[in-house]
Amino acid sequence: MEVFANEYPDEAWVVRAALGSAFVALAIGGLMGLIQTLHRTGFYDSLISNADYYTVLTLHGVAMVLLFTIFFLVGFFQWAITDSLGRKSEDIRITKLWYGMMVLGSAMSAVTILGGFVDSGSLSGVEADVLYTFYAPLEAHPLYYMGLAVFIIGTWIAGFDWFRSWWAWKKENPDERMPLRTFMVLTTMLMWYLASLGVAISVVFFLIPWSLGIFDSVNSLLTRTLFWFFGHPVVYFWLMPVYMMWYVIMPKLAGGRLFSDPLARIVFVLFLVLSVPTGIHHQYVDPGIAEGFKFLAMTNTMFLLLPSLLTAFTVVASIEHGARQRGGEGYFGWLTALPWGKPAFTGMTLAGLMFAAAGFSGMINAGMSINYLVHNTLWVVGHFHMTVGTAVALSIMAATYWFLPKITGREIFSRRLGLAQVLLWFIGMVLMGNAMHRAGLAGVPRRTADPTYDQVIYDGAYGAIGELRFQIALGGVLLSLSLVLFFAHLVLSSFDIGERAAATPDSIPAPLSGPEQAPKVLDNIRLWTSIAVVLILITYILPLASIVTDGGGWLGDSYGVIVAEYVLPAVSSTIDIFVGVVA
Amino acid sequence: MSSETETTEDGIVREIGHDEFDPVGTLALILIYFVIIGGLWAFMYFVEFLGNGPTVV
Amino acid sequence: MEIHRYEKLWFGLSLLLIVGFIGTITYGAVGAGVQMVSDDGGTVEPSFSTINENEKFAQQEDNQAVHVEGNEYEVAVIAQRFSFQPGTGSPIQVPEDSRVTFYVTSPDVIHGFSVVGTNANTMVIPGQIAEITVEFDELDSDEPKEYGVVCHEFCGAGHEEMAGQIQVVPEDQWEGDA
Ligand code: HEM
Ligand SMILES: [Cu+2]
Ligand SMILES: [Cu+2]
Repeated sequence: MEVFANEYPDEAWVVRAALGSAFVALAIGGLMGLIQTLHRTGFYDSLISNADYYTVLTLHGVAMVLLFTIFFLVGFFQWAITDSLGRKSEDIRITKLWYGMMVLGSAMSAVTILGGFVDSGSLSGVEADVLYTFYAPLEAHPLYYMGLAVFIIGTWIAGFDWFRSWWAWKKENPDERMPLRTFMVLTTMLMWYLASLGVAISVVFFLIPWSLGIFDSVNSLLTRTLFWFFGHPVVYFWLMPVYMMWYVIMPKLAGGRLFSDPLARIVFVLFLVLSVPTGIHHQYVDPGIAEGFKFLAMTNTMFLLLPSLLTAFTVVASIEHGARQRGGEGYFGWLTALPWGKPAFTGMTLAGLMFAAAGFSGMINAGMSINYLVHNTLWVVGHFHMTVGTAVALSIMAATYWFLPKITGREIFSRRLGLAQVLLWFIGMVLMGNAMHRAGLAGVPRRTADPTYDQVIYDGAYGAIGELRFQIALGGVLLSLSLVLFFAHLVLSSFDIGERAAATPDSIPAPLSGPEQAPKVLDNIRLWTSIAVVLILITYILPLASIVTDGGGWLGDSYGVIVAEYVLPAVSSTIDIFVGVVA
Repeated sequence: MSSETETTEDGIVREIGHDEFDPVGTLALILIYFVIIGGLWAFMYFVEFLGNGPTVV
Repeated sequence: MEIHRYEKLWFGLSLLLIVGFIGTITYGAVGAGVQMVSDDGGTVEPSFSTINENEKFAQQEDNQAVHVEGNEYEVAVIAQRFSFQPGTGSPIQVPEDSRVTFYVTSPDVIHGFSVVGTNANTMVIPGQIAEITVEFDELDSDEPKEYGVVCHEFCGAGHEEMAGQIQVVPEDQWEGDA
């Protein structure tokens, strides 16, 4: 057996390129994060104007949660498919095509966002100060939406590419179980097809024509609802590669074996089925959506806790298995027998620990009425920096220390440096995340260049707010330092410095309870997709219908009637085709 | 079902198979988590939230 | 498929947690009477002229809550780039010990309407009228009590300026209809 990079050089090229793009986005996003954290806390607000703050924030959001996470995902999934099926890409040109499209789309959107920094001259009018949620009628340059569409179509082709590998493999191995990593990739991509349909419809049928001036207006609540149709499941798109790392890489690093392959499959099936019909939980305090629909979305959301809670058990048990094989004893004593010297292991464990804490604030967010307390406050920002910003981002950085040798063929530069980096991120996020949660409870809003107002006193306590502000700034600075260490490490690792061994190939140990234990029906992804579609229809058809009929049509005004004549059939036939293909 | 592992990782002093392994440590940790979550939930809902009036009625 | 007994136990506890959460929220709605913003406020075309013709907004003449009956009042607020009308220029005045329904809408982009330090918090979406009812208690002293109101959704350059105030006025200083 050979190292991945040598066995599959073409695929490894795409994986490296995708990871490279992800890290460029992370670097840009990180710089913006530092600017924000200092600006809105008032520690250093003379670098940019308040107006430019929103350009910075748009760039931060898009770079972090669309580009960084998704570029990493496609790279990692390409590795997972190739490695677990043991076959080259069916047609490497297609593989390069989707990567190229994603880069092109990113560049298109990035140009319009950067245009926001230019006040006049040839670029004036090219801007996209609309944040990553682009709620209409805030309007961006058409290129912003088009770039997004191209990017998403790129991911769709990637999914198709991976399905092709699986179909080809299946033909040659008709009696074998679908490998676990392939199973994870395919269920995630099916979830993604369903989810991204919402934002694709919003962008292609409404926002692009509207920003080009073909329509005068859009129905604001409709495009917002379509965004969140996509906006919640997208968090699982960030999370699924990380779950794959936790299920597949962590047990191995700990010296153990995955506790249960069947349970891992059940978890991914639950995500496929339940991820999409939950998006309305971002709209708990939106007018125009009846309370019953919100309650239904909450019920789905709460049940979606199940796969994550099950994951917590399975992953910790797999690690414990490793610790005991390494001689660990007792109820808690085994924790000391874990390989804490490995940055990949320690980083992912800290990420998981933070996810356990963030899971709690997520449960609060999910609790319909309690949303009044936290909606659009810094609490929410604290929550997602501990989830996507740490559980995902830190796991990705940590896994890179394990992953890099596989795709470059050379060991990383220094374990110690890696350890320092992941630890610094964790400490920084404890400070920033905790302070953001507390500030949010005091009512400090998110998405603002300056949360101080003449008319507003937070919690009556100046002192406490000042201290929280300080922690947010300090935490942000530590996080940025951690990023600097990370990038320095990547650079150092790419040169031949010091005495470093060539990477040794290694494999994923077999699970304790293997796939032969998993009922066959689990691999019936058609069945699960159909159930997902039915659940989506149940949760979304009625609210969408009432938004369109009560809220002034498809476009929020009388023009809507005309457009409905061709938009409506297009939408419904798209759904028909999708159901037809899958079922 | 004590079985062979293909792992080359160092530090492993014994092989523990499927039937010899009870994740008691995991159970202990996760029960602690359960208690914390339950308590915090009650605190957040009944004290932080309902105590933060006026509330929409 | 065999599932370890600990894992079965955890599965059961997880379900208990989920059902407990849903139960708490249901209690909040049925027992504590917390209502979600819904489609009750109705819709209005997002332009000044149409909004001003709307019954609720037409009756809002100044910054004072409009008396309906008993201790019930109504306030109609237009959230626009970058102010609340009323609220920003001078505080919205409501009497103590009252039940006030806010109607909030926007003629331009999406805004937020969040009464800082309380659970009164809603999105303001063009085309929709957000309706929230809030109870203000009796005051502890004869000083008016102020609440800050902020827009918590990005609405354009200037968003960080968008704030206002609600003033809860003691019974004997209340100048509006009672
Ligand atoms: C150097 C590390 C980071 C710092 C200092 C930082 C800081 C911040 C701050 C202060 C905000 C709040 C802005 C506001 O609401 O006014 C913010 C927003 C945000 N951050 Fe970060 N962040 C960092 C890393 C990350 C990472 C790794 C991710 C995700 C992978 C992330 C995702 C986001 C998102 C999605 C938003 C919301 C954007 C919006 O409201 O439109 N951040 N960040
Ligand atoms: Cu969500
Ligand atoms: Cu605003």
